[in-house]
Amino acid sequence: MSKRRRAQLIRWAVYALTLLGVGALALWIDWAHVQDAMLRPDLAKEQFPDILTKAAKNTVIFTVFGFSGGLVLGLVIALMRLSSIRAYRWFAVGYIELFRGVPALLTILIIGFGIPIALGSRIPGTYGPGAVALAIVAAAYMAETIRAGIEAVPKGQMEAARSLGMSHSRAMASIVIPQAFRLMIPPLTNELVLLVKDTSLLSVLGVTEATIELTRWGRNATNHSANATPLVVAGFVYLLLTIPLGRLAAMLERRGKQTR
Amino acid sequence: MRNVMPKRIFGVVGVAALLLAACGDDDDKKSDSTDSGGGDSASALTVCTDAPYPPFEFEDEDSGEFTGFDMELLREIASRMDRELDVTVQPFDGIWLAPQAGTCDVVASAMTITDDRKEGALFSDPYFDANQSLLVRTEDKDTYNNLEKLAGKKIGVQLETTGETYANDHKPDGSEVVSFEDPAAMFLALESGEVDALLQDFPVNAYRATQDDGMTVVEQYQTNEEYGFAAAKDNQDLIDEINDKLAETKDDGFYDDLYAEWFGEEPSS
Repeated sequence: MSKRRRAQLIRWAVYALTLLGVGALALWIDWAHVQDAMLRPDLAKEQFPDILTKAAKNTVIFTVFGFSGGLVLGLVIALMRLSSIRAYRWFAVGYIELFRGVPALLTILIIGFGIPIALGSRIPGTYGPGAVALAIVAAAYMAETIRAGIEAVPKGQMEAARSLGMSHSRAMASIVIPQAFRLMIPPLTNELVLLVKDTSLLSVLGVTEATIELTRWGRNATNHSANATPLVVAGFVYLLLTIPLGRLAAMLERRGKQTR
Repeated sequence: MRNVMPKRIFGVVGVAALLLAACGDDDDKKSDSTDSGGGDSASALTVCTDAPYPPFEFEDEDSGEFTGFDMELLREIASRMDRELDVTVQPFDGIWLAPQAGTCDVVASAMTITDDRKEGALFSDPYFDANQSLLVRTEDKDTYNNLEKLAGKKIGVQLETTGETYANDHKPDGSEVVSFEDPAAMFLALESGEVDALLQDFPVNAYRATQDDGMTVVEQYQTNEEYGFAAAKDNQDLIDEINDKLAETKDDGFYDDLYAEWFGEEPSS
């Protein structure tokens, strides 16, 4: 038997076995029961429109604050990390190791409860403590992404800009960083999607009508209905948020390549 | 390209089937364990609780065992069934669904019997009467001496509790109800000034006030709530057995002694 023929046979065997397995499962599963336990249309319908206008809205707001705060802070940390001044570099490395190494949940609890108790004052705003905690965590990851992006821009770009008489910071801001960001689009999208999901941790700080996010919404509705349908709906709404983000990033990436 | 597509679809279907299979498997296990939950005397009685929630359920610092009024009462009930307690800690919100999901046989978590919760669980006879109450920082006890004074302020409650319901129904205009996943976070929030008062079951607030000079109970609300143990909806056997043993402890004085031990007085009824 030729190699190709054998590979073909094996592939067919795998297909047949999978099909058999799927078929057996489809017969064995009590579909009516599955549907009744986690896919009830009436309960799913009940979630709308509030799950979008309240819960998804808050998830998006937390994400936007967390991402934009994290991007600015992350850029500063990345530049410190690349700085020629040793104290800056040490600070940046310390920051990244600390917030990348500590679970986001702990950071959120410490910022939401620990710091107010220690300092006697809280971060203001409805979204304040949660958004700040998310931004601080995101900045640690984004700093590394941004640093890698900046380092990936060929040295010649900086040298050429300097030789045209630009100062170091001017060249960084108008030549290197814009090119770096194009390289960073895929990893930053990853970070954005992670942030969308990390907002589900914020309910440990306490939930109000004004701050309830998607996961908490789904959990509350599940508790009331004694049915998993709201959890499935919440998961679906997360996908409504994250899949377009992925598509958008892919589009930006393609456009970036064309203009190159 | 055309060749690739069917393969991909096939892959997706395969994964979906596996996921569903996993769900189906869980379902199966659930019904197994609840079936055996009632009669099997050799196995431990698994109990879900939201600890620490003193004086009802918390870990004894020295022995590491779970203790408190709920735990001691249920441990006695279990021992009269020749079973031991095996405690699982989980957040209170939705805890009454845990037996139905197969996480444990029974819930003992200072849980009020409500019609809503009966949708997802089978309750034992009531074993404790409780009311709601308001806890504030001691320095605020004259400023916030009743619920009305909290207009425009934040009131902390625990998610999915009867305290949360009471607060939402009776809060003064402009105040905001903040719901916490666990009691520890709730007390931290009061301490840190994140909220200005806590509304929850009186025995818990009262116990906290005796342990912590920084907090004071300023008001009680008569809600006539009764705590019950909860089991899966199809586990009538277990509930019958618990009810029997609970009645026994009330008849032979064990219940009264335990009550006096934890609350310093005999039960009123």
